Amino acid sequence: MPETSEALDGRVRLTVFERLLETGQAPSFEEAARALGVDPEKIAVSYQRLAGQHRLVLKPGTTEILMANPLSAVPTAFTVEVRGRSHFGNCIWDSLGVIAMLGNSGRVLTSCGDGCGEAMTVRIEHGVPVDGRGIIHFQVPRARWWDDIVFT
Amino acid sequence: MLLFRSEDHVDRWCVDRNLPRGAVLTIDQGWKLARAWYSDRLDPDSRGRTAKEIEVIFADLRLTGPYWEAARP
Repeated sequence: MPETSEALDGRVRLTVFERLLETGQAPSFEEAARALGVDPEKIAVSYQRLAGQHRLVLKPGTTEILMANPLSAVPTAFTVEVRGRSHFGNCIWDSLGVIAMLGNSGRVLTSCGDGCGEAMTVRIEHGVPVDGRGIIHFQVPRARWWDDIVFT
Repeated sequence: MLLFRSEDHVDRWCVDRNLPRGAVLTIDQGWKLARAWYSDRLDPDSRGRTAKEIEVIFADLRLTGPYWEAARP
């Protein structure tokens, strides 16, 4: 029986996450195709489908992955350290999401969003924030998050 | 979504950009939201959440009000 698009998308998504977590780089659709032993054209279509479902974010007009939320495929102002490895989150919510996705302990290194220059760290230990300094601001209303997800 | 030192710093960021203030969460709320949203992301069966499931997550964390309303179809 041929693989359903849903099943393929699930495998593609995990391959993207595995590569991003291992190397910090998102795979091109050709690389994902080689890893999965699938026709590259099917992977390119899968990338587009996952982007349409907000599971991936592609650079505009390309099949190049920008985000596999909560991970960023490009450097950001949010470094997430979990189990001795560093990753990039897209924003503070996603950065905490990287910790949640990988376990329950880690820390986010960033700085105050207003540009005052103060370095800030959020630490989570065994599922609990251990220093509550700072607040999180969600500026773009929920209904418009996906109008411009990079700004959001 | 950014992290700020304090409410004053949020206000300054908004004024500098001429943008309205949105929703402000504590670290604890942000962490709980992140956990509810992302903890199953590496599960092979992870799928997008339904609108109803999203509403439950927000309601459980008391994230209510105009900011948290879904887009109208």
